[in-house]
Amino acid sequence: MIKARNVSLVYRDGTVALDDVNLDLHAGGLYYVIGPSGSGKTSLMKLLIGIEFPTTGFLEVMGQPMRKRETAKIRKLRRDIGPVFQEFKLISGRTAIENVIMGMRFLDIPMNKAKELAKNALVRVGLEHKAFTLVDRLSYGEAQRVAIARAVARRPALILADEPTGNLDHDNAVKIFRLLESFKDRNTTVLITTHATHLIGGCNADALLCVEKGKISIERRGGRT
Amino acid sequence: MKNIGYFLREAGKIIRYNSVSNIFSFLGTGLILFLLGLVVAVWGISSQLVVLLQQEAEISAYFDKLPENPEDIINSIKSIDGVWNVSYVGAEEARSRMENILGDESHILDLFEKNPFEPYLEIRIHLDKIDPVLQSIRNIKGIDYVRDNREVLEQIKGISRALEILGYLVIAAVSITTLVIISHMIRQGIYHNREQIKTLRLLGAPDRFIGFPFVLVGFLLTFGGGLLASALITVLINRGYAQLGGAMPFIPLPPKDRLLLGIVTLLLSGSAALGILGSLFGLSSINKENQG
Ligand SMILES: Nc1ncnc2c1ncn2[C@@H]1O[C@H](COP(=O)(O)OP(=O)(O)O)[C@@H](O)[C@H]1O
Ligand SMILES: [Mg+2]
Repeated sequence: MIKARNVSLVYRDGTVALDDVNLDLHAGGLYYVIGPSGSGKTSLMKLLIGIEFPTTGFLEVMGQPMRKRETAKIRKLRRDIGPVFQEFKLISGRTAIENVIMGMRFLDIPMNKAKELAKNALVRVGLEHKAFTLVDRLSYGEAQRVAIARAVARRPALILADEPTGNLDHDNAVKIFRLLESFKDRNTTVLITTHATHLIGGCNADALLCVEKGKISIERRGGRT
Repeated sequence: MKNIGYFLREAGKIIRYNSVSNIFSFLGTGLILFLLGLVVAVWGISSQLVVLLQQEAEISAYFDKLPENPEDIINSIKSIDGVWNVSYVGAEEARSRMENILGDESHILDLFEKNPFEPYLEIRIHLDKIDPVLQSIRNIKGIDYVRDNREVLEQIKGISRALEILGYLVIAAVSITTLVIISHMIRQGIYHNREQIKTLRLLGAPDRFIGFPFVLVGFLLTFGGGLLASALITVLINRGYAQLGGAMPFIPLPPKDRLLLGIVTLLLSGSAALGILGSLFGLSSINKENQG
């Protein structure tokens, strides 16, 4: 699913965000990426979705090498990824359900099927009553859940959630984690980053990827695979 | 095709976002396309005139005094190489021909106390021999002067050529202006929508999908301009034909419907093509941005 060999990411200003990272993540796994703020979690997500590219080393996502000159193929790869961004990136001026459908318009999914999937996803995140509300009018937590619905509605093979509990209180944060975990299945790998290590006590992760100043160490867990 | 409604809504949104400059670019495009239509119309009329005058390889020869026996002169003209028919047009006949040409306006001939026309010879010749034929006829005794339409022909040809060049210049001007206007509008639209475009890319949307609403906007704005120009030119040509046909009935105008059809086809297909091309130009700026 995800293979990294001696990957490093150095930003243009010289910041070393990731340093000699080696990973083998399996399809259908649930992984938490943990580490303090500024340790490199978001940078890892950027590499996995092709916003940034490894400065050195080799990275492969679902069999696609992540190289700058393969942007067209990486664009296609993204259709199999359900991203939940730290800042949501919902499209303003549109309703919740329009945002969820937007992630499917350019896929080979007939319109009525897309509507159905979008509705189901909103039910799943507990927001069906806000389906026709403009996303600009939603609370922080609601917008977060719309972003999750958009990511999962199209049944991606890989869900990447970057700091999905951002400003939420303890109970709501745990709810979001459990929700995201519930999308893990045989065909769907889930990767969640968080700096809130105290919240993942009861998680069902297969492994924790601990990020510390750009280095990643792997802590195996039982999981429920 | 499942997204056609979405694309139209997006296009509407992009147009509405910058409605004032979009209205002006629509009007501006319409007006310059109208100018193009105008030049093409006048060019069409003048080149029709050239064709007609060229076909009419006919010259007229006038007598220095009324001949007692025009047959002699006719025969000697007939014997010239390159002449294939000579006929005598009497003064009455000349008058009635002019009456026919003038039609409703022929009453102006009544202002003359006596018939202002003189008899002349109508000579049909082979066009390629016009120079030697003219020379020979001028040398025949009893012929005062010969009138051929070459001078008029040359003048109209010149006008027609000038109009043709003007036409190409206007086409170039219209193309450049439209392309610049439209690609600029599209670029603005892209800038305004940059966050959405970024997000769509992160979700894996192909550039085709992202760009289509913008191409639609370019098409709608210029095609709208083309429709406006077509409407204006139709009104103008209808009026022009009504007026010219009355005031100057002897100008041989090309069939109105054919002229209009040609111009409207040119304006609509040209504007559609320019709109699409302009937005593709504008879209190329998307790709310069980083892919992030
Ligand atoms: N675009 C960038 N240019 C330069 N430095 C960056 C950029 N993005 C992040 N960084 C730096 O890289 C390091 C890792 O950042 P990030 O991956 O965002 O950490 P995290 O998500 O764990 O908080 C930080 O020191 C941050 O300041
Ligand atoms: Mg981060």
